[in-house]
Amino acid sequence: MTPHPIVSGAAAGATLLAAASAAAGPVQTDHVGLELVSETTALAPGRSATLGLRFVHEPHWHTYWINPGDSGLAAKLSWQLPAGFKAGEILWPAPQRFDVDGLFNFGYSGDVLLPVQLEVPSNAKRGSAVQLAVEARWLVCREECIPGKAMLTLDLPIAAEAVTDPRWHAGFAAARAAQPQRAAWTGAAHERGDRIEVALSGSDLPSDPALDAFVVQRQVVGYAPPQINRGASTLTVSFAKSEYFTSVPAALDLLLVAGVPPNIRAWSTTAPLVTDKAQP
Amino acid sequence: MKLHSTVIALLLICGVSVPAWARIAVGEPAPDFSLTDSNGKTQTLSQYKGKIVVLEWNNPECPFVGKHYGGGNMQKQQADATTAGVVWLTINSGAAGKQGHLDAGGANAYIAKVGAKQTAYVFDPAGTAGHLYGARTTPHIYIIDAQGVLRYMGGIDSIPSTDKDDLAKATQYVPQVLAELKAGKAVSVTTSQPYGCGVKYGS
Repeated sequence: MTPHPIVSGAAAGATLLAAASAAAGPVQTDHVGLELVSETTALAPGRSATLGLRFVHEPHWHTYWINPGDSGLAAKLSWQLPAGFKAGEILWPAPQRFDVDGLFNFGYSGDVLLPVQLEVPSNAKRGSAVQLAVEARWLVCREECIPGKAMLTLDLPIAAEAVTDPRWHAGFAAARAAQPQRAAWTGAAHERGDRIEVALSGSDLPSDPALDAFVVQRQVVGYAPPQINRGASTLTVSFAKSEYFTSVPAALDLLLVAGVPPNIRAWSTTAPLVTDKAQP
Repeated sequence: MKLHSTVIALLLICGVSVPAWARIAVGEPAPDFSLTDSNGKTQTLSQYKGKIVVLEWNNPECPFVGKHYGGGNMQKQQADATTAGVVWLTINSGAAGKQGHLDAGGANAYIAKVGAKQTAYVFDPAGTAGHLYGARTTPHIYIIDAQGVLRYMGGIDSIPSTDKDDLAKATQYVPQVLAELKAGKAVSVTTSQPYGCGVKYGS
């Protein structure tokens, strides 16, 4: 994933407008609060804007990454937008690993924004206002799990300039820091007995002592922490093969993650499957 | 016998603590277990040799389980299977004090309330059978043929959600596998991604 483009904002200064235009506030449900927020206080015609689905979890509760791990379910969004507006997929921030009595889950805790890119049509009329609405479905778990569903709305004016909303500046900055950066490594995935090994090489492989790794695709690798071995300019990530493995996809989407929010860094790479000729 | 020694080794290594995950595979003999059901009877896999056995991991309070019982899907699959001579064991590996853990009275009340039609509702509070099978979620399904060979492991159906509206749209794997086994055909889908709540094992 490339870092998503950001609507460049001048310095803050449109808080008045934002306060006046923000219709729906947070929705508090079981163990998590949700809110649809915008990085900017207005939308500019023909530009792209960044929205965020903000989850505020109660302590010990979590929601899920696109691959939830051993159990759980990722959030799903269904948008209701004015004509010409288009919302992209969730730009999933790097997940945390949760160990729940030996089962591993991948997701988010605390205060987190899931960014979504919004395309504003060029014919959007300046001075008008639009309502953005999204139906969110999610599963929030501690050990026990509760499914949730809410309709979230956000009213925003259309203006020539989109100005950063200071209320969400830190949240979007954190979401951006947690976006996996596309790495320029070369990588290959190998099926070796009951393991899947991904061999990476490059000059800028992360040197963080505590690295974790996650695979986007399901039914390929198991969800326990992988073994990570470093060479001079190589990194090998070895996962147990999933018990639900049927075949290796043509390419594995791999994330390397260092640290925890707000000091999290993540890299993404796609490793094509390489068939080893000489199998013992 | 290989399987028995595996069970014994697990018990010896683990003592009273949580057992380690075993690794089982479709096409291989399913490991035996011995558990007590909600009527106080012992239930083993080996006693059903000669019959097809369905194992269903259960936590009555899990919303994914609720989807399949609330929509009548699980009860119908249980009734259809047991009517056709299939053994259906519902297993609760919830540890004492965890959500969904039941005693015998609680389980029998739950069965009556939802109209469940399984052969027996069995308890695995130490998580022994759960770890032996690698049960991760509720529900989580395993299907064993009359020769004791594992033929299916994975999700109950093809759409991971808590939404009852998805039941009709999903491929329901249990009736599909049972029909194929009855017809002497190869099982077309032998594994799928299990989905649901995590099994509430003890720590």
